[in-house]
Amino acid sequence: MFGRMKLKLCAIALFAIAATFCMQGTFAFYSTTGVATNVVTTGGIEMAIRETTDGGNPFPKEGVYIMPGDIVSKRVTVESLCSHPFYLRVKPVYGIDSEALSSEDCFKLNVNDENWQLHEGWYYYTAAVLPGETTPEVFSHVEIVGDKVDTGYIGHTLTLTVVAQAVQSEHNPLTDGKVWTASGWPAETEAKEG
Amino acid sequence: MKRAILLFLCLALLMTLPAAAAEGRVSYLGGAEGYIFDPGSEHSPSDLFPEFKDVMPGDVISQKIIVKNDAAEGVKANIYLRALGAHADSAEFLSKLWLRVKKSGEAAYMFDAAADDRAQLADWVLLGTLYSGGEVELEVELTVPVELDNRFASAVGYLDWEFKVEEFPAEPEDPTPPDTGDNGLIFLWIFLAILSAGLTVLFAKLRRRQK
Repeated sequence: MFGRMKLKLCAIALFAIAATFCMQGTFAFYSTTGVATNVVTTGGIEMAIRETTDGGNPFPKEGVYIMPGDIVSKRVTVESLCSHPFYLRVKPVYGIDSEALSSEDCFKLNVNDENWQLHEGWYYYTAAVLPGETTPEVFSHVEIVGDKVDTGYIGHTLTLTVVAQAVQSEHNPLTDGKVWTASGWPAETEAKEG
Repeated sequence: MKRAILLFLCLALLMTLPAAAAEGRVSYLGGAEGYIFDPGSEHSPSDLFPEFKDVMPGDVISQKIIVKNDAAEGVKANIYLRALGAHADSAEFLSKLWLRVKKSGEAAYMFDAAADDRAQLADWVLLGTLYSGGEVELEVELTVPVELDNRFASAVGYLDWEFKVEEFPAEPEDPTPPDTGDNGLIFLWIFLAILSAGLTVLFAKLRRRQK
């Protein structure tokens, strides 16, 4: 009799446990918050002016000694270092360490006018520079004009600095395919020097 | 040859698949477990804007955000959103951008203002009542003006969104969500199986004793 009672109690206990499983819902009420910090970033345009000699070595930073009539090897290209295409213009800027002398007309560049168009003192690359692309040479050699650089220039330093500016080509339509008609060219003073 | 044809067909099939846009994801796990914000970024672990990176003047970009009630079975949750605005050092930059937010499938925008603003999301806005497994999809559109100044190149702007959940148990009269099979009461079924086996043994022993 006692044994049968024990078995019945066991069965009831098992049913009670099962019922507890079914009634696990509670009436608790939670309110909780969480903050997401969202981020917007803008891209930018990055480029580098590369200057090499005929041998492919970097053009010497200290410069080269020149004589009237010399032709100096100086191959100038621009490399895109960003993930956005851009329009590009470059300008040679001449200088000399003397107020009495002028650097104008001392240099003659063999500009690659197949890919670069002159407009108001700037050479414009005729297409957009694509991400990672290196442009064709702006020029490859510089002639020291013999008629201009006379004995008065002996001992002086002439400089030829290449400056470049770029503007995004995305959402920036051209008029008649002319790159100088793009919007947003930086001011003349905001140029990258090579 | 067969293998080459198979490979070609697989590649052709892959090329027909559209490139998947990265989506933001807010998962509410229930109770003390709180939220998971995905995918995050190098700038913020809770960043919901993977598409709004490296944007350029003139861009108009869309971002999809999924808000999901990932709590265990039987949880009903009201999920709200409000904007906390831009971080102080980002306000000038973000004030130049325009942000619009709406629920997918709806015409009206719940937010349509400069990105640094709190505008219509200054107060809590109910995104929906979501049952366990339910989700709501938000469409966010960012417009970068073409005249954005050069000084904002390579800029980083931070803006905070706060989510709130009011959780309460589902009631019998609530609509039953379709059973996806993901959250079955597997432990209950295992327990019932063990219980049935136990009872069978018990009754068998009982009968044997009676005999």
